[in-house]
Amino acid sequence: MAIINQATKELQVKIVYYGPGKGGKTTNLEQVHANVKDVKEKGKLVSLATSSDRTLFFDFLPIEAMAIKGFKTKFQLYTVPGQVIYNTTRQLVLRGVDGIVFVADSQYDKMAENVESFQNLEENLISQKLNLAQIPYVLQYNKRDLPNVAPVEYMEFLLNNREVQAPSFGSAAAKCEGVFETLNMITRLLLNKFINESGRKTA
Amino acid sequence: MAGLPQLIDEDIQCLDGALGDLLERSEATAALIIDKGGPLICQRGDLERYDTTTIAALAAGSFCATQAIAERCGEINFSSIYQQGDHTSILCRNIDDNLLLIVLFRAALSVGAIKYYGDSAADLIATQLQKAQQRDPGQTVDLVSMNVLDAADVFRKGT
Repeated sequence: MAIINQATKELQVKIVYYGPGKGGKTTNLEQVHANVKDVKEKGKLVSLATSSDRTLFFDFLPIEAMAIKGFKTKFQLYTVPGQVIYNTTRQLVLRGVDGIVFVADSQYDKMAENVESFQNLEENLISQKLNLAQIPYVLQYNKRDLPNVAPVEYMEFLLNNREVQAPSFGSAAAKCEGVFETLNMITRLLLNKFINESGRKTA
Repeated sequence: MAGLPQLIDEDIQCLDGALGDLLERSEATAALIIDKGGPLICQRGDLERYDTTTIAALAAGSFCATQAIAERCGEINFSSIYQQGDHTSILCRNIDDNLLLIVLFRAALSVGAIKYYGDSAADLIATQLQKAQQRDPGQTVDLVSMNVLDAADVFRKGT
């Protein structure tokens, strides 16, 4: 749940990048950190990683951007460790999540891992008494620049085949393609949600 | 799990006062109130020395991870973690279901005193948060006037 501090006119939102191991979640944050411009404040990218550069706990990138007039809007971007054994850690990182970017690996041989990770996301949200219908999320089909990738239509069928479809983007995060499009879309969905809730409650 | 209530001036003044009092009595260097999801809510003290946004995110993760370990060892009462440093020590203490109190203090100070004064501060903060929770659960910020189209390009890529 986003933290709205009326006294200091501050809105803090938490966006979690989720997905299978080696799918490109950390790369997304690295590219945002390296390439974002015109933001009010950009913090350090903190990575809690193993000696082989696999995410152990999470990566964390705080950014303050001008999203709402008169409000400081602080975005906290997190990744989860993708490896199956770190499920308890993923549950901890999901605490207080406002929006999710699911980073899927487009390579054919990763489809089973994508589906398993997406199911794991749904289960972990349920364990936090949340569900995907309540939380804005965006799908990112990463590594489109590699050979042997599955067609986007096939990935849509596997991961986005539901009544209300989530926005999806093809990407090549290592080349910073699709990274900002994805981040701006989840931001837009989140702000829309706050406005709708605000409208309902103040009406 | 009820979320953190929205905070108004009265709440922030109380939280700020509780942290100021804690620092004055304990001689600690800095004190933070953070959400267990990672965001920083309120802070006081010598803040220039620390990246408190990152400390908040890491402390929340550390506390929740240690609590999860303790639960797996059959420990259900878990209230704090303490890092004894050579120069700076850190105490993370539970406030309520949502919040943690983080105190950074010189290693030469007694952790017993920090815990003692931290307990009083945490009780005061928890009471104020309960008041905030009960005040008006439906109260929210009016964001309706905002044009979301303006937010289509919040993050821009450098060339």
